[in-house]
Amino acid sequence: MTLAADVSQAGPGPISGLAAEVAIEAEKLLGRAIAASRAALAPDGRVDAAALDREQHRAHGLAWLATYAESVKQLAAYAERQEAQGRFGEIDALLVQVGLAEYCAQIAGGIPMSQLEFIRLPELGISAEDAAAFSEAAPVRKLIGAGNTPQIRARLIALINDAQGTATYGDSGLDEMLESMRGEMHRFSQAEVVPHAQEWHLTNSYIPLEIIAKMSELGVFGLTMPEEFGGLGLGKEAMCLVSEELSRGYIGVGSLGTRSEIAAELILGAGTDEQKQKYLPRLASGEILPTAVFTEPNTGSDLASLKTRAVRDGDVYRITGQKTWITHPVRADLMTVLARTDPNETGYKGLSMFLAEKPRGTDANPFPAEGMSGGEIEVLGYRGMKEYEISFDGLAVPAANLLGGEEGQGFKQLMQTFEAARIQTAARAIGVAQSAMDLALRYANERAQFGKPIVNFPRVADKIVMMAVETLIARQLTYFAAREKDLGRRCDLEAGMAKLLAARVAWAAADNALQIHGGNGFALEYPISRVLCDARILSIFEGAAEIQAQVIARRLLETRN
Amino acid sequence: MKILVPVKRVVDYNVKIRLKADGSGVDTANVKMSMNPFDEIAIEEALRLRESGAAKEVIAVSIGPQKAQETLRTALAMGADRAILVKTDIAVEPLTVAKILKHVAEQEKPDIIILGKQAIDDDAAQTGQMLAGLLGWPQGTFASKVVPADGALRITREIDGGLQTLTLKLPAVLTTDLRLNEPRYASLPNIMKAKSKPLAEIDPASLGIDLEPRLKVVKTSEPGARKAGVKVTSVAELVSKLHDAGVI
Repeated sequence: MTLAADVSQAGPGPISGLAAEVAIEAEKLLGRAIAASRAALAPDGRVDAAALDREQHRAHGLAWLATYAESVKQLAAYAERQEAQGRFGEIDALLVQVGLAEYCAQIAGGIPMSQLEFIRLPELGISAEDAAAFSEAAPVRKLIGAGNTPQIRARLIALINDAQGTATYGDSGLDEMLESMRGEMHRFSQAEVVPHAQEWHLTNSYIPLEIIAKMSELGVFGLTMPEEFGGLGLGKEAMCLVSEELSRGYIGVGSLGTRSEIAAELILGAGTDEQKQKYLPRLASGEILPTAVFTEPNTGSDLASLKTRAVRDGDVYRITGQKTWITHPVRADLMTVLARTDPNETGYKGLSMFLAEKPRGTDANPFPAEGMSGGEIEVLGYRGMKEYEISFDGLAVPAANLLGGEEGQGFKQLMQTFEAARIQTAARAIGVAQSAMDLALRYANERAQFGKPIVNFPRVADKIVMMAVETLIARQLTYFAAREKDLGRRCDLEAGMAKLLAARVAWAAADNALQIHGGNGFALEYPISRVLCDARILSIFEGAAEIQAQVIARRLLETRN
Repeated sequence: MKILVPVKRVVDYNVKIRLKADGSGVDTANVKMSMNPFDEIAIEEALRLRESGAAKEVIAVSIGPQKAQETLRTALAMGADRAILVKTDIAVEPLTVAKILKHVAEQEKPDIIILGKQAIDDDAAQTGQMLAGLLGWPQGTFASKVVPADGALRITREIDGGLQTLTLKLPAVLTTDLRLNEPRYASLPNIMKAKSKPLAEIDPASLGIDLEPRLKVVKTSEPGARKAGVKVTSVAELVSKLHDAGVI
């Protein structure tokens, strides 16, 4: 009998059927939590804003519980699909099993919303009886009891070690063509990006234009754009895997690679025919690079209250105001600028989106355009593109470059890209998590203490195993959101959950990978020190974790089944 | 001009090789497989000849199990025009491969056959030479430079004493050295296009070749573990240690 058979006998039994049963239990529990929270926070079927603010812990906890329940459901769906295709190997089954066991145990015992804040079932209005109904349900009990044991984790680290060199630990579930794309992106990233990323970071250098040119040759920029505009017309899963593999090399490269798609989506969704014809083919080819100019010093998460003004002046709009946290503006050719066209509308209705062209600058002269200046914001990580604060002082934008040709639509137009942007950011997080795991696995095998490689110590191996488990969970949740998006369904909830979870997963992976490196990880010389800094941004940008949870909670409380 | 490029599916060069528990061979279950790196160089060279106008068509051929299709798709994604899979689950030996390739060559009538100089799994480095022998064609093995020259190829090979330049009349067989070129990445659009490029299948039974191996693998074992060395601080100490070890 093989070791695998031994383990599965000691374990909870065949996983895919069990997974489906557990998913049902998690959904039941979530249903109760939602009902109880609606009664408390949305008593008349409408969310009570004051109650929502007062009870953020509970509301956000509900968002996290829903994220876990969806994760469990997606693990079950993954197991079922893979099994049906004969693609459910031992490593896949064990990763799913440990993931289910751990997430169920956390649902029952407390889900970490951050390292300091946990949501526990009684806080969600779940009675002791209902909590027990979940944790004592036969499949849940079985999994929590025997799904994640030291023996199973020991088997997993052996399988992970054997699988070194494969692009993913655990089958991604994607089709053969997408996986060959991953293979090629992986090769490119490992050969052209990984050897230089640390130097780019430490010297705060730009990602070289040659790398961008190579990405453009590989067809990265037009991935999901329609063929009529020079794109490949692929789905969002393709965008995910490209973002993953490039971010696994360096988060900045992953960001550059697929941020163009988000700008393109904005234009595709809201632009006039002329705007589409003018900009999409050049975005698809990588000839022009975009930058998003939304955030202001006093408006981050509360974007709708932004102050930058755009005033019509003959054939142009003149833009005046302060923007900040603008990524890669110096080398960008096209800014998507959100500004207020109607000063009487202080909310989102007064905002419009502009496609503002700009010349490329240099470090010495970052903004050679008239009416535009700015200074660099030095940052901990996520370098390679450089962050700037920008002042507009009457920057002229042709009236024809008002997105969609209509004022007051900016916020709505932008909102329509949030789903894709969050999916893309979740994918970047998965790439960063994977790079942390790659570094941890290599170091743990190379570093010997007490006469053996440290990977042989369970506390080291367990960390790596959990990285693999959580990366797989985040990946399946993200691909699910991507498929929903491709089907044209509203998926802000799913995309938000994917981003929320993936960002936490990336940070945990980076932090623990550094722990495995010990003192060496604290040295700037070791790439894990950079990956830690890069991972930190993920739960902040593109919807901070708290905002993300708030948006998810609001949706859950509002939705009527 | 037509170029035929045989490609082999092998364990990926990044993978740490594992033996089967019974020592009967290398464990390839759930192991990442890729195109033999020398064959990637062969494909790249063929594509460059086509892009320079010297060749019109590049055909990739692989002999192996159904899964070898993936390797052929990689060749197509890099830019080969079409592919042929000679499907067999038998682990074929170099001479058998050469015999099969001879049949394919007789059908396809290529002007050049470019092979990797060896495959990184068994490192036999025999197929190209055997194929040239069977076909009665000139051969340029371990080529590090290839220049087409009016019905011939001028190739540079790395030999012990330096560089040797040969002129081969076509048709000819080439095998690639590592330094011949740096293979390209398959672009994402080309990976998509590869899906619809023709991939034909041949049943080797139809060729009348006996595929059964002539060699028997008696045992496969791990290389002996290296023992820890000693650091010496001076030449004198090194000499004395070598004396002690009885090697000088």
